[in-house]
Amino acid sequence: MSLWVDKYRPTSLAKLDYHKEQANHLKNLVQCGDFPHLLVYGPSGAGKKTRIMCLLRELYGAGVEKLRIEHQSIVAPSKKKIEINTIASNYHLEVNPSDAGNSDRVVIQELIKTVAQSQQIQSSTQREFKVVLLTEVDRLTKDAQHALRRTMEKYMSTCRLILCCNSTSKVISPIRSRCLAVRVPLPSTEEVCSVLMSVCKKEGLLLPAELARQVAEKSGRNLRKALLMCEACRVQQYPFSADQEIPATDWEVYLRETANAIVNQQSPQRLLEVRARLYELLTHCIPAEIIMKGLVTELLSNCDGHLKPEVAQMAAYYEHRLQLGNKAIYHLEAFVAKFMAIYKKFMEDGLDNFMF
Amino acid sequence: MDEYDEMYGIEDDYEQQFADELEVMAEMEHEPPCGVKVSEFRSKRQTFEEALTSADSALLKPVAAEALALEEDECLTPKAKKRKHDVAKKLHFEATHDEGDGDGDKEITPPSSPEVYQRSERTRSGFSLSLSPSRPVVSEPVSVMDISGLAVLQESPKRVREPRHALRRPPASGDYITVTDCTGNRVYLRQDPDLDPDLQTPDPRFFRNSQNTLGLLAVPVEVLKEQASERRHRQLVEESQRLTELLNSGIDPELLADEGSEDTEDVNVRVSDESSGSRLWVDRFAPQHYMELLSDDFTNRCLLKWLKLWDSVVFGRERKPRPPAAESRVNGAQNQNQNQRFKTKSQVTEEILEAELDQYKRPKLKVALLSGPPGLGKTTLAHIIAKHAGYNVVEINASDDRSAELFQKRIDTATQMKSVLGANEKPNCLIIDEIDGAPSAAINVLLATLNRKDSREGEESTSNPLKKKKKKESVLLRPIICICNDLYTPALRPLRQQAFLLTFPPTQQSRLTQRLAEVTRRQGMKADTGSLMALCEKTDNDIRACINTLQFLHGRGQRQLDQRVVNSMSIGLKDQNKGLFSVWQEIFQLPRLKRKRIGGDPHGGFEEAGLKDVTQRLQHILHLASSCGEHEKLTQGLYDNFLSMKLKDPSLLGVCSGLDWLCFSDLVNECVLHGQNYSLMRYLPFLPAAFHHLFAANSVPRISYPNSHYEGLMKTQHTKNALVAMVAEIPPSIRTRICQSNLCLDILSLLLELISPKLRPVNPQLYSTREKQQLCELIDTMINYNLTYRQERTPEGQYTYVLEPNIEDVVRFSGLPPRRQLTYQVKQLISRETEMERMRRVERAQQKRNPQQTETVEEVKEVKKPQTQKPKIRNHHQRLENIVKQTVVENKPETDFFGRAVVPKEKVSPNTSTEDDGKPGGVSQIGKAVGKSDVWFRFNEGVSNAVRRNVYIRELL
Repeated sequence: MSLWVDKYRPTSLAKLDYHKEQANHLKNLVQCGDFPHLLVYGPSGAGKKTRIMCLLRELYGAGVEKLRIEHQSIVAPSKKKIEINTIASNYHLEVNPSDAGNSDRVVIQELIKTVAQSQQIQSSTQREFKVVLLTEVDRLTKDAQHALRRTMEKYMSTCRLILCCNSTSKVISPIRSRCLAVRVPLPSTEEVCSVLMSVCKKEGLLLPAELARQVAEKSGRNLRKALLMCEACRVQQYPFSADQEIPATDWEVYLRETANAIVNQQSPQRLLEVRARLYELLTHCIPAEIIMKGLVTELLSNCDGHLKPEVAQMAAYYEHRLQLGNKAIYHLEAFVAKFMAIYKKFMEDGLDNFMF
Repeated sequence: MDEYDEMYGIEDDYEQQFADELEVMAEMEHEPPCGVKVSEFRSKRQTFEEALTSADSALLKPVAAEALALEEDECLTPKAKKRKHDVAKKLHFEATHDEGDGDGDKEITPPSSPEVYQRSERTRSGFSLSLSPSRPVVSEPVSVMDISGLAVLQESPKRVREPRHALRRPPASGDYITVTDCTGNRVYLRQDPDLDPDLQTPDPRFFRNSQNTLGLLAVPVEVLKEQASERRHRQLVEESQRLTELLNSGIDPELLADEGSEDTEDVNVRVSDESSGSRLWVDRFAPQHYMELLSDDFTNRCLLKWLKLWDSVVFGRERKPRPPAAESRVNGAQNQNQNQRFKTKSQVTEEILEAELDQYKRPKLKVALLSGPPGLGKTTLAHIIAKHAGYNVVEINASDDRSAELFQKRIDTATQMKSVLGANEKPNCLIIDEIDGAPSAAINVLLATLNRKDSREGEESTSNPLKKKKKKESVLLRPIICICNDLYTPALRPLRQQAFLLTFPPTQQSRLTQRLAEVTRRQGMKADTGSLMALCEKTDNDIRACINTLQFLHGRGQRQLDQRVVNSMSIGLKDQNKGLFSVWQEIFQLPRLKRKRIGGDPHGGFEEAGLKDVTQRLQHILHLASSCGEHEKLTQGLYDNFLSMKLKDPSLLGVCSGLDWLCFSDLVNECVLHGQNYSLMRYLPFLPAAFHHLFAANSVPRISYPNSHYEGLMKTQHTKNALVAMVAEIPPSIRTRICQSNLCLDILSLLLELISPKLRPVNPQLYSTREKQQLCELIDTMINYNLTYRQERTPEGQYTYVLEPNIEDVVRFSGLPPRRQLTYQVKQLISRETEMERMRRVERAQQKRNPQQTETVEEVKEVKKPQTQKPKIRNHHQRLENIVKQTVVENKPETDFFGRAVVPKEKVSPNTSTEDDGKPGGVSQIGKAVGKSDVWFRFNEGVSNAVRRNVYIRELL
């Protein structure tokens, strides 16, 4: 547990650093010993998983933290063997069904059924239900989500589901209506700063407030990232200085360069180069929507105020199609080409106006 | 024969070069090698010639002329015309003979069935052969084929001899031929070797005719009689042949049916055009002779030569050795005729054909593999050549079951057995059609059959003769011809190396057009050459498609074929299966050439060219794309290449709309695949059409194969594998917090930063406490995240340490400036420390499992020497105890060398040992000592590892 992220992660609801009110609500929720299905959502690095684990600890005690990895193999009706890893304690089971790709429906059905159908023996000392924690629910196929609907109701008596995802927009509404939705927003910059300061204090380091603030901003309030950045800063140069260079993730740098390349020149050749860079990003497992988002942010900062609404609208249009389609590269490139066309026209018009 | 003599007789060269062909032609005309039909031809021809010679007298001539006139309108090509003509004539004369002088011979009944008919023909031919001065007498009916001095034959009338030579039992001396008539009676015909052609008895009819030269009738009685009987005979023959066809179709549908039907066909065409309307024209007008083949002459000749190579093993005939001079002359002649490129290719083929026979006198390559697109006449060629070379054709095609066992069975049947019933005494020639569709198991069976000899060769020499004979049977001794469309089917790969490959060039358009013209003429359709040419072009010179199209039009009552009809027709079109590259090419290139030609063509609408051009082009591309099939690849190719085209598109609007099309196509594809909504698939070909519209240019596009998508996929897979490998070993407490996306996005990049701190490249013993702590943390992190450094040797021979799993690949981007790397020494240090820490942890985990041991660990630290007894009984203890128990009982109290009792003075650990070991008291202390000692050894014949001792990692580190 050497990384700060892991070392200083709070383990109980009471020790949470921010969103204390919500923590209280959660505490009250499980106080009576029971709770409905939960749908925990929020951006990455906001502390969803931390909260869920705290909740489980509140519910079952320290036994939840004794985790083990189980390799499960499930045979689909089509005789296809699906291997999936689960992380389990005595009281709960954590699965990432999207690991199974297209067969996630089978995983959901089989796993939840096996968990839910086994009754707890000593229900006097323990809760009478187990918890199944499904992560990345927004990456589930529609089939799997529909398979989840009935299962959720049917095994209510023996099992609770906690669904964890980044966005509810990809979770079908029947599931949303069956769950109590808990939104975990990103911490504010101040909150991030305070967390950083407290961690550094525990480490016995002196963190300048200015640097903490910069780290918080650069990490985009993603607490995990902020802590990692802070630790990376520490590794680079210990006695912190306020204007220290903060290491950034490579893909962000790369994406920024790509955006600059788009703005600098608009031609088919440049589009080819951009395509190669987009491919590069995709092959590094950067999700297409993140690429799109990053590109738009960078491009918007580079273009004129008149163009902004148009570019944003285009981005939304192509992002939507990207979600519907299969080959992300087409849609990304289509967006880039469209931007090039608009930008070029704008620039030429501007030039004309300037000349006459 | 006489025609060919006239045509080719002058050129000696030619005779040499096309010896095989000439041979076949000769056989075709003078021999009945393969069935009723040809023999009929031959016999008829002869009688016709007889008639002609006899009709020196002017009387008979008008008849012939009349007959000629009668049938002229129905005739085919000059060649065929004559032959057909002969057929008719022959039949007539045959009939007369049978009626007239056939009465006398009891043995041979009038030809009610073609079988018998043929039989009598054959005997006659045998006789005729014996007449030829150049050849010795031959006893085998098949070997008769070799005759080349044919001129003599024409004049030889043989009919008359039959009755005289028919014997009830085999003649005591001399050669004879056995004949069975339809009633089952067997007669023997003597072959007279002494016959001199000059002394032959003249044709009786000749005399008859000559006698009648003074007759009073304008038409001689004989002729009238002939005409009457001719008519009767024709009906008779027709009926009998129809019957035989029926019968044959029951017996051997593949072979006899089409032979029989050919015969009927010839008659039918004449008698009633309508009666055979239900048959496919393709079958009706299929070539029957070598000379009628439309396919490339060189290919035909090669296959024929190859088949002839088998003669020595199949028929026991020796090949005629060819003078090498002639050979070179042939090549010289070829050089003049053919251009340089084809010469080399043909020479290669020639070489194969001239190659030595193997020990079984078989050709080196035992299988011929014909390949080419459909409709070139591959199957027809194989059948005809096999027939002409004197084989009985056995065909296996895709309609048969081709599982390996059945295939084996059929091959064996075809190659090793012979028909014992009279019908087909000829050796079999196996034709495996459509072999590219056969499963690879079946092809392996075929290969095994081919190579059978090689594997058994060694055995055969040693084994006894009986066995030898048995084995020899299993060696392949019959030719096999395989036919396929796609030579490069994976299943055919092994066969390709062992086969005599013949690729069919496309049919010559002129020849095809000529044939089509004949067909149309015979069917009463009107068609000009131009439209037929257009038809040929439309079908890519596919004979079958052309004729089928004609029949289709004919069937719909269309008797007039002009260019317009051909152009407007969509039926003649095959599924064009063009290569992806040509499709891409067509999409990115404006059809400049084509437009020119249409403009130059007097019929092709000048008026349509301008406006309709775009729509036509779009239609064309649509058709092309939809028939291509591989839409995914096609799209990918367009995507990869369109930006490198020369775009005149400064505002990038075309590019945008092209990409929009791609997006649309992607959405549609997703719908099709995900929702199984296949009706949407029809919209997919519009993408290529749109691309053609947007990006087609006049210049020739340079197209590269699209591999970007595949590469991307591979790289993604590589990345994912690295991630999975990394995650697999991460302890669960950390693992719950990470998933693939946040590993990629947040953690890994910074983690790499974290594990490369500034460390002094010195021995870690020299580190300050803070540095030590830093190192400690680093190693902890690396272990927690399942990372190590692994030594690797670069191609240059240097050693480097790389991360394992290699997440640097996952994180690093090619364009970015390289990050600060740790030095080799530091990496080495980290690697070592990591390994040690791992070992420590493993040991700790083990000790955790046995909590008692943990106590002793502390003790050990105090005592410093590992002399404490482990409370747990270890393996060697158990074993030793057993030994001790056994030995101790016998042992007296321990004595020293001098026999005195020894007081045991073993050093026994004071604290735990006595209480913990619950050993029975009877065991002596020395035994205990042996069992309890921490050091022990086992006699292991001097091997150094015999002495063992427990050593802990912590003692080493």
